[in-house]
Amino acid sequence: MKIQKPEDLSKVKKQGVELLAPATARITVGAATCGNAKGALKLIEAFKHELKKQKVKADVVAVGCNGMCFAEPIVEVIKAGKPRVTYGRVTVDHVADVVKSLKTGKVIEALALLRYDEEKPAVCLEPLKYVKGKAAAGFAKIKEYKKVDFFKNQLKLVSRNAGTISPERIEEYIARGGYAALAKALSSMTPQDVIAEVSASKLRGRGGAGFPTGIKWDACRKASGERKYVVCNGSEGDPEIAMHRSFLESDPHAIIEGMALAGYAIGAQEGWIYLNDRYVLAYERVSTAIAQAEQAGLLGSNIMGSSFSFTLKVKRGGGAYVCGEETALLNALEGSFGEPRPRPPFPVQKGLFGMPTVVNNLETLANIPLIVMHGGKWFSSIGTAASTGTKIVALSGNIAQRCWVEVPMGTTIDTIIAKFGKTDPKKVKAFQTGGPSGGILPAKALKVKLDYDALAKQGTLLGSGGILVMGEGTDMVDMARFFTDFFAEESCGKCVPCREGVKRLQEIIETFMEGRGSKEHIALIRRMSEGMRDASFCALGKTAAAPLLSVIQHFPKELEKRMNKN
Amino acid sequence: MVTLTINGKKIKTPEGTTILQAARASGIDIPTLCYNDALEPYGACRLCIVEIQNNGRTTIESSCTYPVAEGMVVLTESPRVIAARKVVLELLLARCPNVKKVQELAQQYGVSESPVEYGKENEYCIVCGLCVRACNEVVQAGAIQFSGSGKNRIVDSPFHQTAEDCIACGSCAFICPTGIVKKNDLERSSVCTPDGCSEEGPKREILNWQVEYQLKTCLKCGNPFAPVPHLEKLSKQFRALPQFFNLCPSCREYIKVDRDKCLGCGSCMENCPVGALELDDRGGYDKHAQVYPQNCMACHTCEIYCPVGAIS
Repeated sequence: MKIQKPEDLSKVKKQGVELLAPATARITVGAATCGNAKGALKLIEAFKHELKKQKVKADVVAVGCNGMCFAEPIVEVIKAGKPRVTYGRVTVDHVADVVKSLKTGKVIEALALLRYDEEKPAVCLEPLKYVKGKAAAGFAKIKEYKKVDFFKNQLKLVSRNAGTISPERIEEYIARGGYAALAKALSSMTPQDVIAEVSASKLRGRGGAGFPTGIKWDACRKASGERKYVVCNGSEGDPEIAMHRSFLESDPHAIIEGMALAGYAIGAQEGWIYLNDRYVLAYERVSTAIAQAEQAGLLGSNIMGSSFSFTLKVKRGGGAYVCGEETALLNALEGSFGEPRPRPPFPVQKGLFGMPTVVNNLETLANIPLIVMHGGKWFSSIGTAASTGTKIVALSGNIAQRCWVEVPMGTTIDTIIAKFGKTDPKKVKAFQTGGPSGGILPAKALKVKLDYDALAKQGTLLGSGGILVMGEGTDMVDMARFFTDFFAEESCGKCVPCREGVKRLQEIIETFMEGRGSKEHIALIRRMSEGMRDASFCALGKTAAAPLLSVIQHFPKELEKRMNKN
Repeated sequence: MVTLTINGKKIKTPEGTTILQAARASGIDIPTLCYNDALEPYGACRLCIVEIQNNGRTTIESSCTYPVAEGMVVLTESPRVIAARKVVLELLLARCPNVKKVQELAQQYGVSESPVEYGKENEYCIVCGLCVRACNEVVQAGAIQFSGSGKNRIVDSPFHQTAEDCIACGSCAFICPTGIVKKNDLERSSVCTPDGCSEEGPKREILNWQVEYQLKTCLKCGNPFAPVPHLEKLSKQFRALPQFFNLCPSCREYIKVDRDKCLGCGSCMENCPVGALELDDRGGYDKHAQVYPQNCMACHTCEIYCPVGAIS
């Protein structure tokens, strides 16, 4: 139905709640890319077939990823009035038993990971109850989600819906408090109020540089231009990391709402979502979500009866790492070569098609509805003083449990590795945050907090939030070679220091790999990295020597082993 | 006007100029390889980097792209700048050891061969993009582009085939600082096929973009003077008469106005494609057309439009 005024939201919300806590039953299968790789699509077919065979009525829904990538495929089962139960590592062989359990009302304890009796999603004002009356017997042995390590230590604000709602049903997003922030802003806040709340929240860009979002928006609002644009940077390109993909595949409406709010605040009528080319499923789901939002009147002209109009388009990029840099992204959006532009003029002055443009990371935008709903003051109370809010981090590398989680800023890295990765921090040799540009830190730095400034002090950066863990047997020189090769592959080739410098760094590291390195080589790396840092056009070239430099700084012995003995 | 300090010298410059422009205007030289006054600044060679102190922050930026700001303090030869410039030159020298321009700059900064042996290379193109930008921005032909990324980036014709949009104007060869764009004007060339050999008339070839075009011969002196597609583009651009490009620039007869016959009606000025005519109005009937020879391209369009035959 078309939402013509803010009050209409509650009608859609009712429909959504009926879908989330149904009168019959609901089976959800985690079908983000990680789930699909483990056979989620087959599971959905199997469930549909089995339900028919056993004559059980239930809604089979493909949902996103709840972060437990290690336990995919994840299946959740809700029977009316019973707790929502999460099963992990479900195979086609389990399907018959799961459907049977819906009939009997019993739970398969061997498969069950956790249960939800009731939930209060971050933007919702009242909790969503699954259990009617007393919790049924037989569920006692399964831990409630609040008591499970994986969820107990998380603070799910941005990713509140991931893995629970269907990304292709707008009603379910609205049922969990979606678009309420947009309704609030349009009905009772001026654009300046929205910017004031965002400034008060001290939210900083989640893409890497950590620039205060409020200041950026304010500058764009004050810039003069015929049109203005909001651009969502979804060009996540760090190797081995894909939490933003999972997030988009799970909850695309959160981005749409955040972008609409950004558009309202800065006075833009058009937004673009730029996606990494490899994010095929995310592209499909975002496109569906935009179409639904348009149909519901949440995008388009005169949204919810206000004078604000906003349209959204999605663009799939070519998948280049450098297109995560905002000016290169704008070039790519305009259809030209994905190479950075000179700054100034900054995008807020002269961005997409020469108009004032705000480019925000998608996680930054996903935070906006929360801030508008609960206020900037509430948001700034989470996390640390200078780095507020939460951060989605993904764990990969030599780790027992690969997963993505959302934790408050200020959580230490070793806590994240121990609690979510289920890996003993003592067995970690080194780790890396912020992708290849971040540099590698040794195990003794594990106590560092997840915080823009704390990480910068260590010589690395928060980046998009990936943590790559390297175990005891890792060859650090080889690791540095991997990242240097990555930069050589991803450099756009515009400026001399980056194009030529990375090529030479590759050559130097090859000499070490062949055991022919020397002290002069190390001195040259240092000198060259300084030159590249000062002279390169964009951050890619400026930080391209970081992995090599961190090996020189923290693991000099490994380089010495590979030096010429003569 | 904005006041800034470059190397301790106070400089006043209009708002919107770049640091490079301001510095050069006041006699401070900053080395560049990819900069040209006629083109939008690109910032690719990174030789023009300078140290900027502004609002308490010190940064290194390329002076060709960075606009001036009030109270800015710029150092064009600080130790940090020199060190980074040396790295850039070292890298360029390792790529193009035989390019004269690079050799000269390297010598100026005392950069000789790299202390550690790199893989041997002997490229001539420094990928500064001057030719690409001249072709796109000034000529507006868009015949050549960058292709590949990272270390594989080169300047090339589309799909490494004949550049179909090339008009053989030769701007790329003119602007190239290294001389790698090979433009040859041939008076006679013989083309041999299995069926036999034939002579081909004056032509221009640009080997890099795999194009060759006939050169137009002047009807009067018989000298070849410009490639045919170039002239076609120009005649479209200036709405010149078809016969205009029959003569070479030196044989073209520039127009004269007979002041006794001229009525001062203005038809010639309205129809001049390049604005070479103006009215010399001295009041009353004493007004006549006046020619600015430096603008006239001798197309003789005005001659046709003159109602009294005052132009010859």
